[in-house]
Amino acid sequence: MNDMRMTERARLMQDIKISARDVNVYYGATRAINDVSIDIRDKTVTAFIGPSGCGKSTFLRCFNRMNDTIESARVTGTIELDGRDIHAPDLDPVQLRARVGMVFQKPNPFPKSIYDNVAYGPKIHGLAASKADLDDIVERALRRAALWDESKDRLTASGTSLSGGQQQRLCIARAIATEPEVLLMDEPASALDPIATAQIEELIDELKENYCVVIVTHSMQQAARVSQRTAFFHLGDLVEYGDTGQIFTNPKNERTESYITGRIG
Amino acid sequence: MTLFAFVLLFTATVLAYLLNLRAARALRAGGARLHSLGGFHGGFAALVTLLPALVFLLAWLLLKEPAITVLLLRTLPEAEIAGLGTGERQLIISEIRTIAGGRIFGSPAEWKIEAADRLLAMRRTADYLMIALTALLAGGSMVIARRRVTPDFRARQGTEGILHGLMAFCATVAIFVTLGIVASLLFETIRFFQMVPVTDFLFGTNWEPQIPIREDQIAAEGAFGWIPVFLGTLVITVVALFIAVPVGLMSAVYLHEFASRRFRAAAKPVLEILAGVPTVVYGFFAILVVAPALRALGDMLAIPIAPNTALAAGGVMGIMLIPFISSFADDALGAVPRSLRDGALALGATPAETMTRVLFPAAIPGIVGGVLLAVSRAIGETMIVVMAAGLMAKMTLNPLDSVTTVTVQIVTLLIGDTAFDNPKTLAAFALGMMLFIVTLLINILALRIVRRYREIYD
Repeated sequence: MNDMRMTERARLMQDIKISARDVNVYYGATRAINDVSIDIRDKTVTAFIGPSGCGKSTFLRCFNRMNDTIESARVTGTIELDGRDIHAPDLDPVQLRARVGMVFQKPNPFPKSIYDNVAYGPKIHGLAASKADLDDIVERALRRAALWDESKDRLTASGTSLSGGQQQRLCIARAIATEPEVLLMDEPASALDPIATAQIEELIDELKENYCVVIVTHSMQQAARVSQRTAFFHLGDLVEYGDTGQIFTNPKNERTESYITGRIG
Repeated sequence: MTLFAFVLLFTATVLAYLLNLRAARALRAGGARLHSLGGFHGGFAALVTLLPALVFLLAWLLLKEPAITVLLLRTLPEAEIAGLGTGERQLIISEIRTIAGGRIFGSPAEWKIEAADRLLAMRRTADYLMIALTALLAGGSMVIARRRVTPDFRARQGTEGILHGLMAFCATVAIFVTLGIVASLLFETIRFFQMVPVTDFLFGTNWEPQIPIREDQIAAEGAFGWIPVFLGTLVITVVALFIAVPVGLMSAVYLHEFASRRFRAAAKPVLEILAGVPTVVYGFFAILVVAPALRALGDMLAIPIAPNTALAAGGVMGIMLIPFISSFADDALGAVPRSLRDGALALGATPAETMTRVLFPAAIPGIVGGVLLAVSRAIGETMIVVMAAGLMAKMTLNPLDSVTTVTVQIVTLLIGDTAFDNPKTLAAFALGMMLFIVTLLINILALRIVRRYREIYD
């Protein structure tokens, strides 16, 4: 028994997908992230928790260089995906984002049909050789996002006509249709009701079989439910990072403990 | 005297405000709990004092001279004005007025000088009466308002009610003026159709509005088919849109999504300057620069090009419309939520793919609305085409030919000596009516499209 846990652990230790060293993010003159270093494991759900404004979403957006789209934002330090610097001049952010998918806080389906929403990524990346191929990819993505049964009869309906929870699952299907290696989720359930939240959480749990999932969440219960690893951020610092069970039951840092017990945040 | 009346009224208004304000404060100082704040008591008094007296004053000023004229006519010696027509009586009245004003030409009859004295006396009396009545009205209102100051009086509701009424009045002014314009247009159009059959106008393909003015004049019978004229408008509008739509949209897309911040900061004001150029200046440009250049080009290529081509007028109109379409498209792109852009970029779409597949389609309804508004502007545009387009109505779709437009025809029909009893002049109103209907329909369509697109994201 103990042996098995040891080997499991060793496997996890080797499988580092994203490695960040001394990352700083500035918005104009203010520093939002201070010297954060972290290793994120593959095929694991890693949760970023912390009070509002602590920089966890900003840090998440570093991994697919979405901060590039904000004119005042500046990122320093190195972030490696599979050992390759994502800020290397020969690396195209467009290709990086094809490998690192993202789901946003607010469901943001395109004002197109459900089918076209999911087919959008595969189309622009040329993943489908034929129409039948594309149909296949769309169906698989919708099935994995647990939306197929509800949407198979109305794939031509507009994506915006779905309910909030369905829209978010559509966005997840859209993100996984491009076969990314990493899936970033920025508070994916914060705009949803408890039932839709439960569905999304179940989905995240299944996704970790194939993907490296990083999820930012406000809800500590959610972090405890879905993640294996948890990182606690406070005021732009990475305060503590470890196994979820350890963080929640036996935090080493005082600030983590205060947050988890509800004294700060 | 009039100025004095207004100063009096204004003083009374301020006084009423202060009086009621102080009264309300005194009540509160005396321990009463007032329903409304002191300022509302003051405002109520000021409005109650100002409005009735102001309405009275304006009405008085409006009716004073006509009333005096009527009274003056009655005092004139019966023998002098018996059997005279209205026009002649008015001549006498204006002569008396001139005398009263101190400008005496020649030696007027004695009775006219006496009448001028009477006129002056009447005016003086009227002025005193006006001031007295204004003072009475304002004073009376002030007293009434002052009596209303009690703790329970709902001065806030009163003040707000009066102000609501004022705002409603201002809102209806625009509506009634519009109705008046449409009604006058409609009235003249109906008169035109009594002389020229509706079918001749709507389906006729010949526009020759020259008709004989005198009985013995040799001229054409006159033909009023609006189709060739409208065709000219269409040709010029299409030419204008061919230039304005691609250039405007491309510039909006570039400025919104791809341009560096510095370039945008420089280009946007220049576009706004383009929007601020008076159309008459565009007209110069069309007739002095574009049209000769086109002709020179035509000579080089051995293509016959008319001096007043639809191409020159439409092309310059297109330049005029570029900033219009560009700013509309820019707004439409800006209204697309940022989350959609982020979503596309996060999927690994390039900025160009994000623009063509997500942002632009999402902005299409707004852009279409803007283009339709540009169409109605192009149809109604007058100055450029008056200067640069032709006068002959031709049934042609060739942009190298000279065409005329609805607006040009309206201008030429109404310029110079016009009599409002012949179809030539009245045709202008019929054309105006058609223009009004066409642009109204386009605007309604555009607003519908724009509104539907707002609903998606709000």
